[in-house]
Amino acid sequence: MEAMLFYLVALVSVISAFFVTKCRNPINSALCLVTTFLCLAVFYVMLQAPFMAAIQIMVYAGAIMVLIIFVIMLLNIGSVGKSRYTHGVAGAIVLSFLSFIVAAKFIAGGTVSKAVGDISAEVVQSYGHTELIGKAMFTEFLLPFEIASILLLVAIVGAVILSKRKV
Amino acid sequence: MLENYLPVLVLIGIAVAFAVGSVVMSGLIGMKKPSAVKLAPYECGMPLVGSARERFSVKFYIIAMLFILFDIEAVFLYPWAVMFKRLGMFGFVEMGVFIAILLVGFIYVWKKGALEWE
Amino acid sequence: MISVYHYMILSAILFAIGSFGVLTRKNMIVIFMCIELMLNSVNLTFIALSRHLGNMDGQIFVFFVMTVAAAEAAVGLALIIAFYRNKESIEVDDFRLLKW
Repeated sequence: MEAMLFYLVALVSVISAFFVTKCRNPINSALCLVTTFLCLAVFYVMLQAPFMAAIQIMVYAGAIMVLIIFVIMLLNIGSVGKSRYTHGVAGAIVLSFLSFIVAAKFIAGGTVSKAVGDISAEVVQSYGHTELIGKAMFTEFLLPFEIASILLLVAIVGAVILSKRKV
Repeated sequence: MLENYLPVLVLIGIAVAFAVGSVVMSGLIGMKKPSAVKLAPYECGMPLVGSARERFSVKFYIIAMLFILFDIEAVFLYPWAVMFKRLGMFGFVEMGVFIAILLVGFIYVWKKGALEWE
Repeated sequence: MISVYHYMILSAILFAIGSFGVLTRKNMIVIFMCIELMLNSVNLTFIALSRHLGNMDGQIFVFFVMTVAAAEAAVGLALIIAFYRNKESIEVDDFRLLKW
């Protein structure tokens, strides 16, 4: 049952990811990308990470895609029909296929070590996933958390400077 | 674990069935007498002015961009809120520093006039 | 039974598709979307391995990847808008002033 769900969602995600690269109209690409994000959220649920699935939908499928579609509509490039919208297809097929082969070789050749941590499915069930995330984030990963706020600050300033017409 | 999400699946199924069903049913049993006026996009009963696909102002983009960044801030608040009781004062100061740094950005945006509609 | 290998192979496939898109497309926004796709495939690896190893660190890392992706989206799309203002185009072929 779980394997069937996995293969079904994997198929949908791969097909929609392919159409992200294939669709001529950027709006269609964006909608296919939303489908891929939703499929990944399903995987996160299957991997017992429900909070990750929630923020995947909130941040990626919600916020980032809204921004991308916004820019597509802002620049009104949806209807522009250029005859050639790709270049170097043959070389790119070879390169991306080679990168996949290398990755697959490493994945198949390497052995993933046995579970060493103490977070099992039962622990996630009893504590709650959000709580475990919070515990790790606000004790162990304190410094990266504060640095993330500085990154967001820089992003705010940079984006306002770049997009404001007259600074 | 996955069984807990069955209601979500049922909800998605109903939503898709309703959307597809209404489109297909209106195509099948609706009357079709198209005319130029009927096929035109509806605009409050007024004659159409230009195309709907017009470029719109960059002001909207700044608002959307600020939404994304403060959305991330809200996402960080969820695990913090769950853990708040156990973290105590330490967690409060921690999140205070985080929000203070982002507040600097907010004040910058405000002073720069990016939120004004001109 | 679905093992961690399945997830890793799937994310390798998604990564390859994303890199294919980055290499072939001319439209800057589609290239940007393909980069988001590659980031997401790496996130899937992180979460699958974090689940497999029974360790929370990978998921925290995904959290920060999402933060960086949001910052990247804000600044990157602002850059695209700035490019469009200068050149009236977002095809990458039109931006080769630095090309020798």
